[in-house]
Amino acid sequence: MVEDSLLIWRFKLGNPDALRRIYEKYKNDLLKLAVALTNDVHTAEDVVQDVFVGFAQSAAIIQMNGNLKKYLATCVANRIRNRKRDQQRHEASGIDDSDYAISDAERPEQWAILSEELQLLSNALAHIPYEQREVIGLYMQSQMTFRQIAKVQNASINTVQGRYRYGLNKLRSILNSEIKDETCR
Amino acid sequence: MKPADNMKKFFKNAAVNTNPKMDEAVLDKVLSAHEKAKNTRSAFAEPTLRRTIMKSRIVKLAAAAAIIAVVVLGLFEFVKTENKSGVVWADVAQKVQASGGVIFRSRGTALDPRDGGPGHTMNYLSSTQSRLDSYQGDQLIKTIYDDFNTKTVVLVDHNHKSYIKKTFEQMEQQSILLNPKSLIQEFLSHEHRKLGQKTVDGVLCEGLETTDPTFGGASSPVDSLVARAWVSVERGYPVLLESETTRTTGDNEKLHIMAVLDQFQWDVELDSSLFEPNIPPDYMRIEMP
Repeated sequence: MVEDSLLIWRFKLGNPDALRRIYEKYKNDLLKLAVALTNDVHTAEDVVQDVFVGFAQSAAIIQMNGNLKKYLATCVANRIRNRKRDQQRHEASGIDDSDYAISDAERPEQWAILSEELQLLSNALAHIPYEQREVIGLYMQSQMTFRQIAKVQNASINTVQGRYRYGLNKLRSILNSEIKDETCR
Repeated sequence: MKPADNMKKFFKNAAVNTNPKMDEAVLDKVLSAHEKAKNTRSAFAEPTLRRTIMKSRIVKLAAAAAIIAVVVLGLFEFVKTENKSGVVWADVAQKVQASGGVIFRSRGTALDPRDGGPGHTMNYLSSTQSRLDSYQGDQLIKTIYDDFNTKTVVLVDHNHKSYIKKTFEQMEQQSILLNPKSLIQEFLSHEHRKLGQKTVDGVLCEGLETTDPTFGGASSPVDSLVARAWVSVERGYPVLLESETTRTTGDNEKLHIMAVLDQFQWDVELDSSLFEPNIPPDYMRIEMP
């Protein structure tokens, strides 16, 4: 925490080493969160890269006393939600999303390398509603409190806790059945 | 499976690694965005950013000469009109630049409401050292000592009873937080208008206002900006500096940022003991890589 305070402060003064350290410290956590929320490695990579670029450009307005990990996790969640909204708008207006997609051939090398557990988790999370997935991801992965998540989701704490309970139950049952399937093979 | 604890364990074990080559590529992009933003940043819109301190006498003299040149050549007409009123702005610019130690309070809107209630920072600046005391309400939560000779920063976190001491190679280049000494000069070098007189904290002041979005930066870093300086008619020193800025973040969100610098004490002798880190014995040192 105190290290983050100093990193943020140095970063606000324009120190690239502080930014480098922040990047090194949090990139894996953010990629993991983004993969869990999107179940798509390429999208997760784009989102995390955009968050870091946005963060780098926003040195002037980052509040020094903030919790950096939670701040960055919130940026990831917001950006993913914005993407989903844009995607829904495109779908509603009949625009074919494939026009916007970058073909695999054009993509640079993959940045994130997922463990089997993360692949399993992200596949399971993809089967539960996004709001529930977001609560579970921010709570489990980013250690945000229900109160903080409620602000991110603009919902009441009760709603957020409900989403957590329902989501977790579904996730358990999905993971149980997948693990059973794996065992039967 | 599994109670919530097992789920947490599952989350913990689900790991991600990164390809080092791509790591470097992404980091390059991030650092380049940072560098670009740094070059276009508005100084006054950022209550915690300071301009580069002028350390050597030669630099100080050169800067003073430059200020005089700007004032005499570029603002001649402006200076002439000022003679009719109480404040001669060119004198103010010189006076604040020549001031010794400065104490002031800074406040700004928080980016994230979760960061707590309203806070403020007391800033103590000498030519080679600075100290910042950050408060949340009445409670001192953080103290930062900055020594530009030794390039050392000591950050004391009173909430967590811990501290970090770190030497930064690039300290001199990055120096320092918002330096109110340079702000009047900044006002004068941008298009501005006079605001007339008003009483601020019981002091009769005259004001300047600029809406130039390039104020404090090389190009336009903000969507809109209003910055005002209020200077004591009697003493010729700034009493209040304030700005309101709207800018778009990397997330395409509009942010309204307010910054206020006040409670100034100009040209004061600051005892060197003020800049010696005061760390209670029960505070734990945190090592930072």
